[in-house]
Amino acid sequence: MTDKYKQAFQEEAREIVAELELALLALNETPEDRELVGRVFRAMHTIKGSGAMFGFDELAGFTHNLENAFDEVRNGRLKVTGELINLSLGALDQIKGMLEETSGPGEKTERILADLRRLTGKGETATAAAAAIAAVPETPTVAGSPTRDWVVRFYPGPGLMRTGADPLLLLRELKRLRSLRMKASMAAVPPLNELDAERCYIGWDMVLTTAAERQAISDVFIFVEDICELTIEPAAAESRGAIDEDAGKNKRDAAAEIALTPVAAEAARKDAEPAAGQREQNSPAIASRGRRETDSGPGAAGGAAANIRVPAARLDQFVDLVGELVTVQARLGELAMRREDPDVVAVAEEIERLTSALRESSMNIRMMPLRSTFEKFRRLVHDLARDLHKEVELTIEGADTELDKTVIDQLSDPLMHLIRNSMDHGIEAPEGRGTAGKRGTAKLHLSAKHSGASVLIGIADDGRGIDAQAVRERAIERKLVAPDAQLTEAEIFSLILAPGFSTAKTITDVSGRGVGMDVVKRSVEALRGTIEIASKPGAGTTVTLKLPLTLAIIDGLLVRIGEAYFVLPLASTLECIELTRQDIERANGKHVANVRGEIIPYIRLREYFDIRTERPEIEQIMVAETEGGRYGFVVDQVLGDHQTVIKNLGRLYRHVNIVSGATILGNGSVALILDPQRLVQEAVRDRAATGRANNREIKGRAHAVGAK
Amino acid sequence: LAVTLEQSDQGCTVRLEGEINIGVAAELKKVLIEALKSKKPVRIEFEGATGVGVTGVQLLWAAEREAERAGVKFARMAGMPQAIAAAVAEAGLEFPMMMAAEPAATA
Repeated sequence: MTDKYKQAFQEEAREIVAELELALLALNETPEDRELVGRVFRAMHTIKGSGAMFGFDELAGFTHNLENAFDEVRNGRLKVTGELINLSLGALDQIKGMLEETSGPGEKTERILADLRRLTGKGETATAAAAAIAAVPETPTVAGSPTRDWVVRFYPGPGLMRTGADPLLLLRELKRLRSLRMKASMAAVPPLNELDAERCYIGWDMVLTTAAERQAISDVFIFVEDICELTIEPAAAESRGAIDEDAGKNKRDAAAEIALTPVAAEAARKDAEPAAGQREQNSPAIASRGRRETDSGPGAAGGAAANIRVPAARLDQFVDLVGELVTVQARLGELAMRREDPDVVAVAEEIERLTSALRESSMNIRMMPLRSTFEKFRRLVHDLARDLHKEVELTIEGADTELDKTVIDQLSDPLMHLIRNSMDHGIEAPEGRGTAGKRGTAKLHLSAKHSGASVLIGIADDGRGIDAQAVRERAIERKLVAPDAQLTEAEIFSLILAPGFSTAKTITDVSGRGVGMDVVKRSVEALRGTIEIASKPGAGTTVTLKLPLTLAIIDGLLVRIGEAYFVLPLASTLECIELTRQDIERANGKHVANVRGEIIPYIRLREYFDIRTERPEIEQIMVAETEGGRYGFVVDQVLGDHQTVIKNLGRLYRHVNIVSGATILGNGSVALILDPQRLVQEAVRDRAATGRANNREIKGRAHAVGAK
Repeated sequence: LAVTLEQSDQGCTVRLEGEINIGVAAELKKVLIEALKSKKPVRIEFEGATGVGVTGVQLLWAAEREAERAGVKFARMAGMPQAIAAAVAEAGLEFPMMMAAEPAATA
């Protein structure tokens, strides 16, 4: 087995396992749902069958036992209970380990199998089951059920062999359903020179005599159903006769091929070339269903799959190249303007339009719905609720909200921490909830929605909430704030995110928010996001993460100070106002500006970056929204909006928090991309370090940075 | 190697060993084309083979047709493992070279 086939199987199997986990959790909620039972059974059957096909014999053997248990459920001989679900979820963890080849048969596997045996009253050890699968015994059918004949037509599509599937193993499995007569058609096999050695040109027309239902027959092909031509029809007498007559004969003449169905007559070589999917759609008898249906809709040209799987690294490379193109396009635009040649300007504008469209398309390719990230927390909530003896109902809203894949990849850990904290400390035990007059089952709501160029992700519970006074006292005790500090409720809650605040054991007793919140904050800030906490004692807590849609390209505002260029993210910029010498005098030298009656503190970037060029008479203040309120950033000139392709500064600059990257401008010079949030934090911190800070700085107010 | 080609004045022998599956299909195709190009009798030696998949079967089938067209003698040598013959027949495949096998000594 080559690595590429093995990897293809592992990738597919991971998806099936994830779906299986969700189906099991859903079944836990609705144990009588027959469709869900069928979904679970089919997923297990696929993992078993394809596992055996790809040499994962232990995995196949182990899953075989689990599949048997759900066959019992399917046949009404076993009930879905919490114990069966938990056992199945534990088994799924073992399957995951076997899939990644990090675990094999062992004590835990045998324990699960023993429990399954106890529940079902039958079963085998993993090794025995693996041997049984390898030996392909006849599948037990429902005892006493009448048998019937089915005409099964199976023509592998061009890509079937490349997925690692083996038609012969599928036929073997079909045989297990009882009696199978078949005829292989060699009509589509091309001359040796033209033959693609890694493709199966052979097709099979079969008559299957079985007591099994159509579903059980199509289950055999579940792993390849979208890459083969498959029809399963109740047999007419003439079809049976034709197969029987020809079975076992060696007919080389393609013209002598029997035609079981009108479609079969088209199986001559030249007609076999088009993808099987096209004929599939024409046949009412196709047993095509399940998870891949959405992948190949009627619009799928030539039967090719509408979706293709692309390695993430290749996608990143593509986006990088688009980024380079955006940079070159900016240079071209600038050059065209300098040349003042209308023809060149027209071309430059056309390229700008196309580049912009390409940039948007490439960004869209990177966008992924949050669904899979959200859905996988169902298992976490289920397991935690069981371990903590709490009853928790997880609801999900806005799972189709899309985010850049890089952001999504890094979102799982902070979300997991937040959910853990909520379940562990926020949500009360059922008896405690009863005393508080609440429903025994707590609610945990995971939501996502767009908000401008950001996505808001909410984690809300209806638990005990946060005791603001207790948090404040704890913060004073830990010297995070001065005893006389004037803090708003939001500022008090944000203290929970401070490093060191939550490490003490007592925090759980005090505030209901525990370990890991500083980790959450760091992770979210690394994504250029922010966290907001709202809570009402006794009513619950909502943590909202505000995250940028993408990390690759941002809309920025290009500014200049002397000869240095900077980019400020447009999303956080509110407005631009002038700062005259008179304004500065009126503020008595303090770094604050009066904007329509509101006092806004500002940071003079010229001073901050120690740029020693002459200051213009009139400067510009870019007002931005930050965690600590509105802040201004004083620059010489605002040059305008700028499609900013973010380039990492490399490891040497990894501790420079105030800069989130760099970008190359049209004239070839480099502009630093500033992080307004971090700039304000750094300014406040610098101020505190010089000893000129006072406790008001914790609120990030104007005078804290004003005297810098 | 799973597929080897031996050429002599008497003809070509394609020797198959181990699993003749998709992993060696490209190599088998190359070897069969080369053997047929020689215009000498081609014999297939299965003795060391433990299994043949559909890709192997269809290549041998196509090679046999090609040999027929070119008037090249194409045969298998005696000693095909029973397991292979049974597995192929079980799948209803029109296995090539079901004609009388040549004794191994003629190779």
